[in-house]
Amino acid sequence: MIATRDALAPVVDALLRRARADAETIITTAEDEAAEMIAAARREAQAVLAEARASGTAQARAYAAVEHARARRRARRVELAAQREVLEELRGRAVTAVRSLRDDPCYPRLLERLGELARQAGGGDLVVSEHSDGGVVAEGRGRRVDCTLDALAGRAVDALGGEVARLWAP
Amino acid sequence: MTTWAPVEYTGVAELRGPLMVVRGTRGVGWDEYASIELESGEHRHGLVLEVDRDLAVVQVLEGTAGVRARGTRVTFTGSPLRIPVGAAWQGRVCNGRGRPLDSGPPVFGMTDAAVTGLPLNPTLREPPADPVLTGVSAIDALTTLVRGQKIALFSSGGLPHLELAAQVAAQAHTGGAPFSVVFAAMGLTHADAARVRDALEERSSAGELTLLLNLADDPVIERLLTPRLALTIAEHLAFTMGRHVLAVLADMTSYCEALREVSSARGEIPARRAYPGYLYSDLASIYERCGRVRGLPGSITVLPVLSMPAGDITHPVPDLTGYITEGQILLTRDVASYPHIDPLASLSRMMRAGVGGGRTRPEHMDLATQILAALARARQAGELAELVGERALSITDRRYLAMAEAFELRLLAQRGDESRSLEETFNRAWQVVSVLPRRELSMLDPETLDAHYREEP
Repeated sequence: MIATRDALAPVVDALLRRARADAETIITTAEDEAAEMIAAARREAQAVLAEARASGTAQARAYAAVEHARARRRARRVELAAQREVLEELRGRAVTAVRSLRDDPCYPRLLERLGELARQAGGGDLVVSEHSDGGVVAEGRGRRVDCTLDALAGRAVDALGGEVARLWAP
Repeated sequence: MTTWAPVEYTGVAELRGPLMVVRGTRGVGWDEYASIELESGEHRHGLVLEVDRDLAVVQVLEGTAGVRARGTRVTFTGSPLRIPVGAAWQGRVCNGRGRPLDSGPPVFGMTDAAVTGLPLNPTLREPPADPVLTGVSAIDALTTLVRGQKIALFSSGGLPHLELAAQVAAQAHTGGAPFSVVFAAMGLTHADAARVRDALEERSSAGELTLLLNLADDPVIERLLTPRLALTIAEHLAFTMGRHVLAVLADMTSYCEALREVSSARGEIPARRAYPGYLYSDLASIYERCGRVRGLPGSITVLPVLSMPAGDITHPVPDLTGYITEGQILLTRDVASYPHIDPLASLSRMMRAGVGGGRTRPEHMDLATQILAALARARQAGELAELVGERALSITDRRYLAMAEAFELRLLAQRGDESRSLEETFNRAWQVVSVLPRRELSMLDPETLDAHYREEP
């Protein structure tokens, strides 16, 4: 029995060596594969991270752009609203100034002249009457001419055209 | 000129739909502009459609809902609609009639002009020349916009034509020359209008943009005024102030539908698909207001945007537009990437006058022709591949297919907020042609190829 075992010893050794060598190869391959897998996973993780970062940055940039646009629009709206208020203020002051003409000694002459102007525009058949807020209104069949002081003040401001922009020009 | 004592007519004889019949008028003319004051003090506006003896038919822009014949006063301005013109329009957002939407005061100008405009004197017209760069590679490289040109953007439902029009309006420039954009939006939904305003905010803040917004729920007759208002503003900016102006008119199909509606209300005889017979001349009266004038520095380039109903390019609106404009940029669903431009169906007929040495790059025209020829060959190769399979194609044909793919990925595909410089566009164009073997690039001269061609392995 022992003789047989001794006789087989070289075979056993060889088999063991080969098994060990195979095992080592398998382990090395497995280690290599594992390392490669880890590296691939790391690469993929990095790619995912980079993509997420890029997408996040793009989203943030887009969000910032939208917010920036809205902020600029708000600022511009405030500026334009201020211009509008200035214009309304001018219109209000013009009306007040024109209404004060009622206390002027020449007011009756002005009414007369406005009546003539209204008849000239709308026809001689119009009936002219004084308006309670000042100025005159001429009315006839299907026609009317408004020469009240408020209307005249409004038309005077409208007639300024582009000159109005000097109110808010630097 | 100010009228100190305007006559108000109080004899409203009839109200029917958007129409108001005024009795007892004197000296009122066709197309005259009218302002209407309601009993409540509310102001509306109108245009004279018909005059018969002392009767005037006024189309009320805002409609006649809530109007009572008694107590309504109509004043005629004595002329067709005029608007103030000047630099004050820049940086403003207004509705389709030019009334402010940005909380600001009305727009004032030192002079005014009739919105119907006058055609350019043909003897003083200069042919279009020099480019308008849009920052969109597919347009700048292959269908370059030329100053003074009219070129249409054809699209169909579901494609982002409005987004592209807004991107072009936001990014376009003429190198260092003074440049302005007038954007007339017609028939837009509130959501679309908000997107357009966001996209153009920066340009608006810089005082280089006039935005006229006519929304889908605004009166249709106002839609007929919107492009004319835009061009009147543009004409003053270009020919008095010497600026190069890009007028974007989006969407002209909405305009034409408004024209059809108004024509039907006027009882006119309908022509093709119920559009009025004068649709062609009406469109021409808008598109032909572009150009350059001898002795004046500015220019007007018109970019009308059309959505083709059901994608039908033979529909009267794109069909008649195509007869008038000098080229088109066609969007298609067959191109997967934004901006979805079909390079083979798009063409800028004036391109030769706008590109080349001293304008863009010396090799521009040859390179564009080479890319288009290669894309046509790639399309043939693709059709063959569908029959016999890609493996059965020759190596050269496969290179053409690879080139078409590179074209879409590297040159055509672009983000909606991405502005590409001319240099970057050319670098990308050269990368695209470098996918082909050098022997295939017969339209480019050898010196240019030596300088730019880098064959891809």
